[in-house]
Amino acid sequence: MRIAMLGWELPPFVSGGLGVHCYHLTKALAEKGIEIDFYMPRAEGVKAPWMNLVFVDDSALKESTPSEWGPYYRLMKEASKNEEKNGVPYDLNFFEAVNRYNFLCARIVERSNKKRHYDLIHCHDWISTKAGIDSKKRTGRPLVLTMHSTEYDRTANLWPFEWILNIERDGVREADRIIAVSKMMKNQLVVRFGANEGKIRVVYNAAQLDQFRTQAKKEQFGINSPVVLFHGRLSIQKGPEFFLQAAKKVLEKIPDARFIVSGKGDMLPRLVEMSIELGIQDRVTFTGYIPAEKLPLIYAISDVYVLPSVSEPFGITVLEAMASGTPCVISRTAGVGEVLNHCLKVDFWDVNEMANKIIALLRYAALRDTIRKGLSEDLMSFSWEKAADETKGVYEECLRG
Amino acid sequence: MPSVFLYFHVHQPFRLGRFSIFHEHNENLRKQYFDRKLNEGYFKKAAEKCYLPTNKILLNNIRETKGKFKVSFSITGTFLEQCEQFEGGEEVLKSFKHLASTGCVEFLNETYYHSLASLYGNRREFWEQVEQHSEKIKEVFGAKPKVFRNTEVIYNNTIAREAEENEYAGILTEGIEHVLGWRSPNYVYRPKGCERIKVVLRNYKLSDDVGYRFSAKWWSEFPLTADKYVSWLKACNGQTINLFMDYETFGEHHWEGSGIFQFLEHFPKEAIKNGLDFLTASETVERYDAVGEIDIPFNLSWADLERDVSAWLGNQLQWTCFKELEGMEDKVKNTKNSELRELWRLLQTSDHLYYLCTKSWADGDVHKHFSPHKDWGPYENFINYMNAIQDLKEEVEKASKEGLERELVWKPQQETETGLR
Repeated sequence: MRIAMLGWELPPFVSGGLGVHCYHLTKALAEKGIEIDFYMPRAEGVKAPWMNLVFVDDSALKESTPSEWGPYYRLMKEASKNEEKNGVPYDLNFFEAVNRYNFLCARIVERSNKKRHYDLIHCHDWISTKAGIDSKKRTGRPLVLTMHSTEYDRTANLWPFEWILNIERDGVREADRIIAVSKMMKNQLVVRFGANEGKIRVVYNAAQLDQFRTQAKKEQFGINSPVVLFHGRLSIQKGPEFFLQAAKKVLEKIPDARFIVSGKGDMLPRLVEMSIELGIQDRVTFTGYIPAEKLPLIYAISDVYVLPSVSEPFGITVLEAMASGTPCVISRTAGVGEVLNHCLKVDFWDVNEMANKIIALLRYAALRDTIRKGLSEDLMSFSWEKAADETKGVYEECLRG
Repeated sequence: MPSVFLYFHVHQPFRLGRFSIFHEHNENLRKQYFDRKLNEGYFKKAAEKCYLPTNKILLNNIRETKGKFKVSFSITGTFLEQCEQFEGGEEVLKSFKHLASTGCVEFLNETYYHSLASLYGNRREFWEQVEQHSEKIKEVFGAKPKVFRNTEVIYNNTIAREAEENEYAGILTEGIEHVLGWRSPNYVYRPKGCERIKVVLRNYKLSDDVGYRFSAKWWSEFPLTADKYVSWLKACNGQTINLFMDYETFGEHHWEGSGIFQFLEHFPKEAIKNGLDFLTASETVERYDAVGEIDIPFNLSWADLERDVSAWLGNQLQWTCFKELEGMEDKVKNTKNSELRELWRLLQTSDHLYYLCTKSWADGDVHKHFSPHKDWGPYENFINYMNAIQDLKEEVEKASKEGLERELVWKPQQETETGLR
């Protein structure tokens, strides 16, 4: 089986879970004998020898004629001129860049298909959905769409971009099969996007967890107080402000607790301000971006990991924390919770209850130890091999029609 | 032909309400810990589905067989309190008293709070709770119990010996192969180290045929009819067939539509027609001599496949709570505050520990089923329970401090009084 997978990024250049997901999924699929042409914007230094990387940019289309480009031709020309001048890949704004990628991508897929004969096309999220739909039309091959998160998730339902919602609606309608990363996602697609339930399959993510199984202890770093961790993008979707509010409540009972807020995002200034307003600025550490190789350490020195997301279709960081042996308090809105027994679930807005559970974990060794013993049992339900098997199953189903 | 000893366990715990560490302080601690609405709801449902209809059938059976049908009950103190406190409880209590007045019903003794106090190192608290229960039974039903059955028939040589010292004629426990070996549960035995008391063992196969398998469609004997069941009893050898089950078997574990009530109506008449006779607990131990000795140096119970105490003390969560409560005894009693002592005892009810069971999450289903709060697993129940225990601990600390201060203040006055006399 040969497929065209339309991605956006791959490690080491990742801004979110999508790149990591594609990296591990393609690797596991390749091991199952699936031949993959992976499309993405040009990026130097990406290594994925198990598949054929296709970088989507103007040079890939240099054999095509301006007439094929239609009204975009001039835009692209200008864009590439600017690019040479400034030396940055995206001089247009982000959305233009996505548009341009999708536009080019579909055309390259169409051309390659003449030689490569793809069995199907697989795209991920809104960011490659337009290319997916377009490729389907141009090649007549079936389309599989994986939904990792929707615009409602990313904006915590507050101000979704209609433009992106439209792309998502189109994708949900046009795809022959949709892979949802949780039952919660499936439900959302049915209820909010009017998806046909019959074509949705749930395939849970997995995580590459070996590097998280460290022996590091916080005492090695001279930390003796209890540590509670938030790790994620500092955006409204991830609910970092609920973490700070819960921190305030925890400190009422456990005054020497420390709170780490790891990650970057547009909410950082607001959060720093908020920690001052709450009067807990001396107990909260904002670490900024933590490089991947340091990540295992930050989980390992934490006594509790909190995921207070307003909306979280999956929540891979929970698995990372669990692999580090760190008990988790997670939002009920996290899809990963559907399969987990050994974690504590809370409503993200119920900061009192969040604090109640954090305190219990910090106070009672029996609770921590019992949860720790169960973690490996929970983690066994997640593996890339299993995810690849199930994805392959969706492909086969798709080809049978 | 062996006689039949039918015994039902009747119990309701006072379940904890949602108790956060950030609770609002309530002067009434009992209200603060225990959720009246929640408990009343459970009680009313069970009364309607089980207690009232089943009591009615039993009463009819006694009347129709002219007193040949006999049963024994153990009814916990917390259950009786709920009868006194909750809507509809009076009617339930009346129906039990009705049964008692026939003279065909015996009430057994256990811990008032259905607790695990029998496993404490210090034996005082356990027997205080048993005594409290004995008095309550006498007060409500007019007779002091003579046969002892511990919480969930938890049993070991020590408990049996202590029961003998306290003048009980008999004690109940589980009849399981790993204790009995080749021997049959259908005989009365002597506990090791005892001279007078007799131990009566549950025939778990025949008990579970009704208590557990009655409505199981996968069971090859499904459906179980009264005459089929009686034919099995008739075929048994031995002195006595001891059938012990939860009272909620009728109408709750097996709902009305399963035909469980019809079974209960017909079974006694069918049995008597076939020459089986029913005995109460005391009659059973009176009539039969012990045929051998039973040596159980470990904790036996009727719960789960293990038949040990792992349903309540199988993990660290459970041990932590159990040890916390056990360790509070002296402090609580020294406050001489009866309210605090009662709350401490209400927290000892074994159900609270049962909700924390984590035995393989698959067969933990049975345990999950009993969690008083929807969607709560062992972890949530642990946090809630521990929060209440810690809160009570603080209250006890406060009371002992106040008590100490009072003593210091009042001392000179007491001396004056003595001086005057």
